[in-house]
Amino acid sequence: MNEPAVGLAPLLRAERLAKIYPDGNVQALRGVSLEVAERESVAIVGPSGCGKSTLLHILGGLDRPTEGEVYFRDEPLSRIDRDLYRARQVGFVFQSFHLLPTLSAVENVQVPMFESSWGHRARAQRASRLIDEVGLSHRRDHLPTRLSVGERQRVAIARALANDPCLLLADEPTGNLDSVTQGEIMALLDDLSRRNGLTLVLITHSQEVAAAADRVIRMRDGRILGD
Amino acid sequence: MRFITLILRNLLRRRTRTLLTATGLAVAIASVLDLVGIASNFERSFLTIFAGKGIDLLVVRAGISNQLSSNLDQKLSDKLRGTEGVAQVAATLMDTVGFEEAGIASALINGWESGSLLFRGLRMLEGRAFERGEKNVAMLGRVLALNLGKKVGDKLDVAGEPFRVIGIYESDSLFDSGALVVPLATLQRMMGREGQVTGFVIQGRSSDSDAIATLRNRIEAETPGVAATPGRDYVQRDVQMRLARVMAWATTALALLLGSVGMLNTMIMAVFERTGEIGILRALGWRRLRVLELILGEALVLGLLGAALGMMLAVLGLRAVLLAPTARGFIDPHLPPAVLLLGLVLGVLLSVLGGLYPAIRAASLDPGEALRYE
Repeated sequence: MNEPAVGLAPLLRAERLAKIYPDGNVQALRGVSLEVAERESVAIVGPSGCGKSTLLHILGGLDRPTEGEVYFRDEPLSRIDRDLYRARQVGFVFQSFHLLPTLSAVENVQVPMFESSWGHRARAQRASRLIDEVGLSHRRDHLPTRLSVGERQRVAIARALANDPCLLLADEPTGNLDSVTQGEIMALLDDLSRRNGLTLVLITHSQEVAAAADRVIRMRDGRILGD
Repeated sequence: MRFITLILRNLLRRRTRTLLTATGLAVAIASVLDLVGIASNFERSFLTIFAGKGIDLLVVRAGISNQLSSNLDQKLSDKLRGTEGVAQVAATLMDTVGFEEAGIASALINGWESGSLLFRGLRMLEGRAFERGEKNVAMLGRVLALNLGKKVGDKLDVAGEPFRVIGIYESDSLFDSGALVVPLATLQRMMGREGQVTGFVIQGRSSDSDAIATLRNRIEAETPGVAATPGRDYVQRDVQMRLARVMAWATTALALLLGSVGMLNTMIMAVFERTGEIGILRALGWRRLRVLELILGEALVLGLLGAALGMMLAVLGLRAVLLAPTARGFIDPHLPPAVLLLGLVLGVLLSVLGGLYPAIRAASLDPGEALRYE
């Protein structure tokens, strides 16, 4: 993947993260600490329910830890505008793609851009370019239901790059794909990360996908077992 | 893609629900517009009587709420005529009569003196006006003549008395067009009110509002027991006008309540169903305000659609009412622009009332929690 930036402050730093969900009284994270360097790719693996998604959501500013803190370029997330952080710095890719069903591929890519200062023409041009980059020029005006699962994930990846983030968080991006498509999507993620200098943190159950990352973090029962 | 595109796509996603909600709003808005429109047209029509005849003041017995219940001595006419600032005085006796055979429960009958200023604003379509000394002759308003099926020369039974129709007139006021005019003395005898009138109309030497106010004070000071009221004030205080206004605004309040509950129901369902989707938007960096704009925007488009449909329905509804012969002529089918504008205001108001809570609810969703909902 990318060549990690050596000697620089980490892009992300998590310190003693704990997360207890009040509804089920479930302790999803128990004192997780980690660092992710700029342009590094990190795979998080572990059995279902071990806290991987919770960790990803907290790193991406979607959720708050019960204890501990996440630092983005040494700034604690608790003190910055998390909406702005998600809009400008983070791109999310989900296992179930989560595309808006009423919008075409190119329109879905424009959705995050409503939080940018671009006008509608600039949004359309950028979305068009991103759709080209993920190889879907011929499917740009198709609704998600008319796309294959692999194509939907390509649209979701283009959407994650919409606001030119520095951090890409992917929650099992190949979980719903066959092995051939999985290879294509990972190649695309790898290529885009390298070309855009992105830091990639992804959750996977696939050993093959994990092996391609710079680092693999193993989790179990809300703890990091090995890094 | 513009923001409005996203709003429209979301509404079109559930076409049936959108259409049903807009139709519900349209019915509520249309009923308000029709009632407010009818009340406003009644008031305008009433005012036309005063304006069309150049009447500055109406003199009735002090303390009465309806001109029909007023009772004054006809001889006051001379005293009023002698009051400084008075140009013309006309006595009037008003009552109501029914024409059962034509299905008219109540029509206004006016007793006027020949040549009175009250004849102003009436345009003779057929026949002539009555002359001094004539008895048991009647002039019919165009609408009443139409509803009675009478023309000049026909006989007419009025409250058991035989009359001859000698003229048919047109007026800009629906009240006049739906009424009949007979000689004052004839009506006084018929009603057993010889020498009595319900009131006097006065034209001042000057129509300047200060001069009218002075004249009003002078008349009330010089003639105890009477109230001299400018036409506009009289119309606004009239109990029937007030009743019409109250009914129109009560319907508006009810329609607002029902309409906003309908809107609330639709929008809250939309938010519940799209909890996961809202979570995605928040995950993609959308601020709470942007989510609020999206949901309120959808409510606003629905409200405006309801308003547009409601305005069309209101116009068609009034025309449909006019198909009933008894309503013809008593209801002005034209909705004034200000009343139609009220439809637009109601649409926006219903959007805000029904859409605000769901929008706030959607905007306050925690993105992580909303995503777990998915």
